Amino acid sequence: MPRVTVTVRDSTGQTATAVANYTLVPPVLGGYYLSGNADPTADMSGGNFRSLTQYRSFADGNIFPGYNRPWLVTLGRSGVQVNMVLELKHYGAGDAGPQTFTVDGVSYTVPAPAMTIQQRPGTVWPKAYGYSQVIAGQCDGLFARALSQYRTMGFGVNIQLASELDTDHEFGTTEAGKAYTWAESDVRAVQAMTYIVNWFRVKALPQNTTFSVGVGGFDRPSFQRTHPESLMSRLDFLQWNVYATSPSHTALDRFRRTKDWAVADLGPVALSRPILVAEWGVRVAEIPDQAAWIATVPPAIARLNAERGPYFARTNYFNSGWGTLSPKATGLAALRAAYARPPYV
Amino acid sequence: MASPTVTASLNAATYAPGAQMLLTINYGDPDTKTLTVTVVVTDAQGNSSAPAKVSAVIDPLTITVTDDSRRTWTRVSDNGAVAVYRAVA
Repeated sequence: MPRVTVTVRDSTGQTATAVANYTLVPPVLGGYYLSGNADPTADMSGGNFRSLTQYRSFADGNIFPGYNRPWLVTLGRSGVQVNMVLELKHYGAGDAGPQTFTVDGVSYTVPAPAMTIQQRPGTVWPKAYGYSQVIAGQCDGLFARALSQYRTMGFGVNIQLASELDTDHEFGTTEAGKAYTWAESDVRAVQAMTYIVNWFRVKALPQNTTFSVGVGGFDRPSFQRTHPESLMSRLDFLQWNVYATSPSHTALDRFRRTKDWAVADLGPVALSRPILVAEWGVRVAEIPDQAAWIATVPPAIARLNAERGPYFARTNYFNSGWGTLSPKATGLAALRAAYARPPYV
Repeated sequence: MASPTVTASLNAATYAPGAQMLLTINYGDPDTKTLTVTVVVTDAQGNSSAPAKVSAVIDPLTITVTDDSRRTWTRVSDNGAVAVYRAVA
């Protein structure tokens, strides 16, 4: 901890000394995500991009580095901090039935995903491996397959379990014919997430492996339900996503919202964890000048990090969906400029 | 001779890169006195000038600020009892 020492001295050489200690938050890692898990190397090249988000389904046979994604290994070995979002959600492509496969000489059979999530009325509800399936050990093969591939990467990553639990549960979930409310789903998810983290933590993991659980962070009661101290003690980061979707949204307000809930509602273990923003973005429909909004992010993060509570450690821009940069060149230039300023340097 | 006294406080416990840091120093010494010298000149006829006054501080304190992370602290103000220094995190 840095220390400043003040000494006063009179003419006879008598002195008095006082000290004041302080903490410096490390530079925030500016990060990125490119739509479709596409190769972001060109977009990141030459800029101060030090962090990256990727999405994979546990159902996928190719999690690390992912099908046809050798660039992820290159980026990770060059020091980019990778946040791997590993989801129980089945992405819908390919066979959603049971799987039998061999990992390091051990054969596993995993049943078909038995849960539906994101049950928004009028939409097709995505399938996911169920929390009961996880807790019953039926998905251990999926974790073993992911871990085996992860060990070949040559660097540690943050494993973020689930993308957004609140988005997954907002309209309830159903597993094996039984319906669960949002609140019930949160409680079940905490048990399943705890199971998965514990499953990984007792294995030999690459150095610098960390864990977090993903939420959108848009609902205060859900945020509190999904962050019990018992689970947070197994995790290394707080995590949520930040979007500006109204002309009235300021960077300070949007990044502050969930942090304020955390400070008010969570326990000391949770609050000791830094914040990993897996996605942040500015929706061009409501905020046409994305670049101007992006330019307000560094001072907002600096200010929030100077306040009490957990600090923002990584912020990964989501160049997809709501955050799509349009025009891309202008938005990317703004992002590069933002990440070239404190608190990113 | 009495010993001087000093306290130091920062305006925050944690700083983000680039943030302004302010250090407030309260200090004093019982021996530090302000002495006022009044001078009157009188000529041979007994005519005196108006008194002229000058103040002098006896045994003023010197302040040294050091930082073990080699941060440079710059004096913003100092009124003899309270000094404020500034640095960039």
